[in-house]
Amino acid sequence: MSFLRAFKYRRKDTVVHRLDPRSKFMLSIVLMAISVVFTDIRVLLALVSGQLILLFLAESLREWFSSLRGLVFFFAVIFATQLLFGGSFFTGVVLSLRLLALSSSMSWFFLSSTPEDIGRAMSVAGFPVELTFSFTMAIRFIPVIYDEFQSIYDTQRSRGLELEKGGFRNRIRNLMPILIPLLVGTIRRTYEIADAMEVRAFGASPKRTTYRPLRLKGGDYLLFAASIILVSAAACLKLLGVE
Amino acid sequence: MVKIVVENLYYRYPEALDYALKNISFRIEEGESVAILGENGAGKTTLAKNLNGLLKPTEGSVKIDGVDTRSLSVAKIARKIGFVNHNPEHQFFAEKVEDEVRFGLRNFGFSEKEADKIIQEVLSVFGLEEYRGRNPFQLSGGEKKRLAIASIMAWRPEALIVDEPTIGMDYAQKLNIRRVLRSIVSEGRCVIVITHDVDFAASICERAIVLSRGEVIGDGRLRDLLSDDKLVEKSSLRKPFLIELEEETGLTGLEEDFDAISSILMEVFQKCRS
Repeated sequence: MSFLRAFKYRRKDTVVHRLDPRSKFMLSIVLMAISVVFTDIRVLLALVSGQLILLFLAESLREWFSSLRGLVFFFAVIFATQLLFGGSFFTGVVLSLRLLALSSSMSWFFLSSTPEDIGRAMSVAGFPVELTFSFTMAIRFIPVIYDEFQSIYDTQRSRGLELEKGGFRNRIRNLMPILIPLLVGTIRRTYEIADAMEVRAFGASPKRTTYRPLRLKGGDYLLFAASIILVSAAACLKLLGVE
Repeated sequence: MVKIVVENLYYRYPEALDYALKNISFRIEEGESVAILGENGAGKTTLAKNLNGLLKPTEGSVKIDGVDTRSLSVAKIARKIGFVNHNPEHQFFAEKVEDEVRFGLRNFGFSEKEADKIIQEVLSVFGLEEYRGRNPFQLSGGEKKRLAIASIMAWRPEALIVDEPTIGMDYAQKLNIRRVLRSIVSEGRCVIVITHDVDFAASICERAIVLSRGEVIGDGRLRDLLSDDKLVEKSSLRKPFLIELEEETGLTGLEEDFDAISSILMEVFQKCRS
């Protein structure tokens, strides 16, 4: 699960963190599309290098590098599949590089944008507020549920539960003492949050105001321009026959 | 009976910059009742988890009967040192109260016949007999806590660590939990209570270990430690009610009459409620 660290927001005051989530999201989508469309190793290398610069500016290189350990498994699967089904080592390198470019294109965005920012950007884009709020809450509660999972796991281990003991079926059965309290706790919390939102008049007024409205600044326009230039460059490269 | 020796214990959570526990050393002898006190974030629960092997020391050692916890599985330690989580709902998953108690017994290899006998005894001792077939989630807060302790005490560990036993409980429920823990102490078992509730701690434990910012700032007789104004202030605690009462009135020996005073307070409390 360590590769998920590359997608967890870290509070920092950097030029990338201060950018509007809409411009960051636009550039992320463009970078992602390019990494899907091209298989040329030079293009992929250039993409990863560009993303490394963005991660450097976001002071998030450490998180990105530590998440690479989690990707090693996927790289191994790619190489194994290539070697087993008649592919080449070079294709394995290209596909691994593509996976790296693909995950990095979203990584710098999530590392530098709060769930609230992402929710606000979705609202501005016209998504219904119930949907954006649920999305924001879901992201915010991942660490809470993880902590609860850890506490339940510790409690059951203190009662002699050994997850690693027994065969496959036994191990699955052993998960029940962890999953049931987690599920019950999560459902209860859902009701409590719904009540807490209702008593604070969530959904009472159809027109909502925003405490911190999103505003595009100079850096955001630069990002939009970069996105357009990248799309144009990608189209030109395709026309020139670059794979 | 179990003996716990902690030597120069340092613990740091993965990815944390600072140590949660720093240079902690103490011994807990068999049959002792110890309160671990301190402000929020002082490291009380982290220390407890180091004592029962859920966390292994970053530096230093924790030894249970002379064996380093690093070389023991959590299950092996749990057989000797039971741990009750602050939130009893974190352990409930069975449909019935009796099955909740049976879970630990099965894990530790008790036969079904032995388990049936123990469940009967334990539910009776903890006053939960009438709820035997009920869903644990339908119990009251105090009953849940008692069930959590009962399901650990079922396999008769030599020591019991209870994390925040009085959270969210009214006075009557606290008295019930106190009765249960005092009966465990009277059996000669070691009880370690982690709490902010100084009155509760004072009613059960002889000794206290006071933590502040991951360090031990006091270790000794609970009454002496909590009479020390500076230590009480530094650890964001307060003096137990009986010590305050003694200081205010000049009376002494109220501690010995704790039960009598508790009953009077209980009566007053119930009159106020009605």
